[in-house]
Amino acid sequence: MTQHSLRKLLCITIAGLLYSCSPQRADTDVIRVRWSHDPETLDPFQFSNQASLDAVNLLHLGLLEVDLTRLKYAPVLAESLPTTHLIGDSLTELRYTLRAAAAWDNGCPVLASDVAFTLKLMFCPDLPNEAARARFGFIEDITTTATAPRRFTLVCRGQSLEYLVASGDFPILSEAAIDPRGQLRRYSLRALQRRPVTAPADTVLLDVARRYRAASPDQLPGLLPGCGPYELVAWERDRYLTLRRKTNWWPDAQLQPVPAVLQALPKQLEYVIIPDAATATLALRRGDLDVYPQMPAREYARLQTSPSTSNPLRLYSSLSYSVVMAGFNTRQPVLADALTRQALSHCFDAAGLLEATQMGAGTRTVGILSPANRINYNDSLALIPFDLKRAAALLRQAGWQRGPEADAGWVRAVANRPRQQLALRVRYRAEETLFATVALQFQAAAAKIGVPVTLLPTESGTFSSSVHTGDFDVYVRMLNGNPFMFNFTPIFHSEAIGAGNTTGFDTPASDHLIEAITTAETEQRRAHLLRRFQALMQREMPVVPLFFLPNRVAASSSLTGLQVSSLKPGYAVKTLVRAPQPSPAP
Amino acid sequence: MVGVALRRLAQTGLAVWALASVVFLLSYRDIDAAVRLALPDATEATAGPGAGSAADQATQQAALRQRLGLDLPLFYLSRTTDPQLHWVKWRWNGAHNQYHHWAMGLARGNWGVSFRTGEAVTARLGRALSFTLPLTGTAAFLAVLCAFGLGQRLARRPRGHSLLQAALVVLHALPLFVVALALLLTLANPEVVAWFPAYGLQAADAGLDTWSQAGQYALHLVLPVAALTLTALPELTLHLSGALTRELRSDYATTARAKGLTEQAIIRHHALRNALLPTITLIAELLPALVAGAVVVEVVFALPGMGRLLADAAAARDYPVLVGGILLIGAARLLALLLADLVYFWADPRIRWHS
Repeated sequence: MTQHSLRKLLCITIAGLLYSCSPQRADTDVIRVRWSHDPETLDPFQFSNQASLDAVNLLHLGLLEVDLTRLKYAPVLAESLPTTHLIGDSLTELRYTLRAAAAWDNGCPVLASDVAFTLKLMFCPDLPNEAARARFGFIEDITTTATAPRRFTLVCRGQSLEYLVASGDFPILSEAAIDPRGQLRRYSLRALQRRPVTAPADTVLLDVARRYRAASPDQLPGLLPGCGPYELVAWERDRYLTLRRKTNWWPDAQLQPVPAVLQALPKQLEYVIIPDAATATLALRRGDLDVYPQMPAREYARLQTSPSTSNPLRLYSSLSYSVVMAGFNTRQPVLADALTRQALSHCFDAAGLLEATQMGAGTRTVGILSPANRINYNDSLALIPFDLKRAAALLRQAGWQRGPEADAGWVRAVANRPRQQLALRVRYRAEETLFATVALQFQAAAAKIGVPVTLLPTESGTFSSSVHTGDFDVYVRMLNGNPFMFNFTPIFHSEAIGAGNTTGFDTPASDHLIEAITTAETEQRRAHLLRRFQALMQREMPVVPLFFLPNRVAASSSLTGLQVSSLKPGYAVKTLVRAPQPSPAP
Repeated sequence: MVGVALRRLAQTGLAVWALASVVFLLSYRDIDAAVRLALPDATEATAGPGAGSAADQATQQAALRQRLGLDLPLFYLSRTTDPQLHWVKWRWNGAHNQYHHWAMGLARGNWGVSFRTGEAVTARLGRALSFTLPLTGTAAFLAVLCAFGLGQRLARRPRGHSLLQAALVVLHALPLFVVALALLLTLANPEVVAWFPAYGLQAADAGLDTWSQAGQYALHLVLPVAALTLTALPELTLHLSGALTRELRSDYATTARAKGLTEQAIIRHHALRNALLPTITLIAELLPALVAGAVVVEVVFALPGMGRLLADAAAARDYPVLVGGILLIGAARLLALLLADLVYFWADPRIRWHS
């Protein structure tokens, strides 16, 4: 073969490849959504990441589910929200009734026995259910009756307003699919909860665990049926996950009108995993993607300034419940007093940071509760201003003295202790440019008043360990919240020091307030306590809440029905519809 | 020759085992971080009314450790300190330890299970390799092929190709992510030209026949392969052309010219084999890179290869996957060194005689 003919063959091959690439997909039934990460697991109890939660919520249904657009819990498998009965001062009973129409794919009804089985499975050994155990450990028992198979009562330890919604927010699994012989029925939920980790292996429990693992969607998608609107069609790890709308989903025939939370309009959803933000934007511009949720600020701004010509887009924005904050290590002697922390809080230019990193979107805040949560947000408190003079004055008030030289730092004499020098190490996740910007701004501002700051950009896993072991003075991170749950025990209570309370902050007053908030009897009382809590936190300043981030979504203009939400994933996927394409003129 | 190769192979096997053991023992010493990262973060998860104290978290962690077999001692020997007398005591744990279980599993082909996904490590690595090897293999093959062609051309007329040489130096200075993004934003961008797909391998279209699917697959690989080839090419080419230029100035090349041989014939039959020695080391370096993947290219083009898998495993402290990956890459590196030695023997008889 001559060189000339080789070149010819190469040209033909390239032309063939380009031709095979050229036609765009025109499958109108499929809606493609970007995920930045693989779900890793579809196990309903593992809560691995947001992608996993998104998929599990489409495959399975719980008793209650968040209506993303109204930001309220709505009954899904349950007929209505449960009725609450307080028993003495230490127990709560929640009475549920399941919808008569709720059914599995084979037509069998969803029964109270399925709910009991699911709860027991959460405490079954040898399963990846550690997160579920912690989250639903407050449900102590479940009582069912043979005469009313759709009714059951959950007995909860303690009393809290949040039990009303938290008790129903878990996916219900089919007992018949995993435990057809009802082996788990011989164990009570209480007995499984009290079973020590070191207890000898129980063959029956191990057998149930083995069957659950074998039926897990990670292994064989068809074996663990959910009663959600979608079924898993394909899952290629780190590439894509495809879900198809069930043709015989129970609300279609049984409920008229279908409640908003039970609507599922897209016929097929394809979640595409694209880790790089620039590549995802390009895919959206090309029309390879339909929805790009949680879009970074820069990409969003770029789309605003140079709209896509090949695939017209619509841009949406709402306020999220993710707050960017700085935390002080209150166990460090220099940061142990509230005045020093208050002084340093004035070195953060929240308004400037919001402008620089979020292009002005987002909202400043006085505390870790979102300003969107009007009942509970303490609007009587003032935002912390960026004021270096005030910062220096507060440092002097805290006993710090600055040397006469221009570059002299701040020192403080403490009785019977070595003299303290104010120098700080700021730790943040290296891969997050937002946190790096906050840390750099703080460093520059602190330098102006003579406080030396060392930046410690840290790899994600090491950051988690360092923050946990207290190897920092100041950290910058994000806290995710929601408008339903106000349990601050894991992050600010003295009982959580050594676990989630990474600042090491604890005062009897704050502990008392946190406990009072979790056990408040009415919403008004809770709102009052939450406002007091925000005031206390601003006085004590273990953390400096900077601003709530915006939630940004970009979507193809061929989609209708996109409703953005302040809660993750930031939009309601089940209401998406592709508008009919205009037919070409004859 | 065969004896030397077998001896070196046995040494390589031992070195790989030692490497994997050291990585296993070092990484599992930091298992607390892995356990913490495997559970939802207090600041990431919705704190329901049940979530709370450090004691609750300790219970969760204990359950996780037991499920993953991390409650066993790490090695045959463990050290404990008497809290009252502060004496250091050594304890023999017998075969009931994590290292023994891991090593026995490895010997039977069981590389363990991912902490994060519960999937077998061999399955995860196998799937990632099935994407990485065609990508990096094609890129390495093309880079070597082009380097041989360009290297010879540059050596024949170094002054006539100064522009090409300058272009290669500029290309060599560009980081991989710049080359990858430049290719993506010019050749897959509807605002410029959209000849190629923008990201990884999409769901297979059931309507396409085998040839069309193969075409789609090849098309998805064009830009990533081009990015890898373009970044590997300059170093190989410049090294080879430099070595060839040196050889062409030697006495035997002058003799060959005096005999009337063409420049091309001198390179092919005399100079190339001698000039290969430094390039062999560079090519040998490509072999572990074939297995390790290219994390930058895999992220930019959304390809599910080894680079991304190992980077994610490292960030999430998914040690079984990480140790498996290191075992594989370590083996590839040591085999590459062995292969380079054998090629040296072939290329230069003096080395053979000395050994």
